[in-house]
Amino acid sequence: MKNRLRVLRAEKNWSQADLAEHLEVSRQSVNAIETGKFDPSLPLAFRLARLFEMTIEEIFSDDGSS
Amino acid sequence: MWCTKSAAERRYLSRVLVSMAGYVLAIAGVSWMFAHYHPQGAAVYLLALLPALPIFAVIAILGIYLSEEKDEFVRTVLVKSSLWATGFVLAFATFWGFLQSYAPAINRTVNFPMYCVFIVWWVSFGLAEPLVRRTYK
Repeated sequence: MKNRLRVLRAEKNWSQADLAEHLEVSRQSVNAIETGKFDPSLPLAFRLARLFEMTIEEIFSDDGSS
Repeated sequence: MWCTKSAAERRYLSRVLVSMAGYVLAIAGVSWMFAHYHPQGAAVYLLALLPALPIFAVIAILGIYLSEEKDEFVRTVLVKSSLWATGFVLAFATFWGFLQSYAPAINRTVNFPMYCVFIVWWVSFGLAEPLVRRTYK
């Protein structure tokens, strides 16, 4: 699943570790989500959306792959 | 860094250490009992169960860790790694069983006690984990 996490994180001048700390997950989780290799669960997607004050659809876009 | 441990992982490691200490004590104690008292009958079964109990505990501890770990990515990596390890152990044990049936000479040349499947599982798990993690990079 495509996402804008890297851009959103850069706008806040956060490192992956910073974002991981905000989400209470490992830095590897953030990296895997950013690269689109790991799709977060709905609760984690909501946490991300709240953190960036956006909707989930504004962060993630379905690229048609499952 | 990957080596940054979550609270759940720290609890998991300390529980495993305690179980492994119990395992070493049980092996030493049971071996001593067999060497000095040559138990018979039901006592043999009970004594054989003793060193297996800490291993049962480690399996349960891994399950507890999976339920306590809050990081869903870490959980996914662990579950996939354990599935690879389980698949490998099942395949290996099946092959070994047929080998024992069709090439019984293997029993005279290679001593492979069944409790070693647990070690094979852990080695497989240890090998699978970095490979599974690599697929997410």
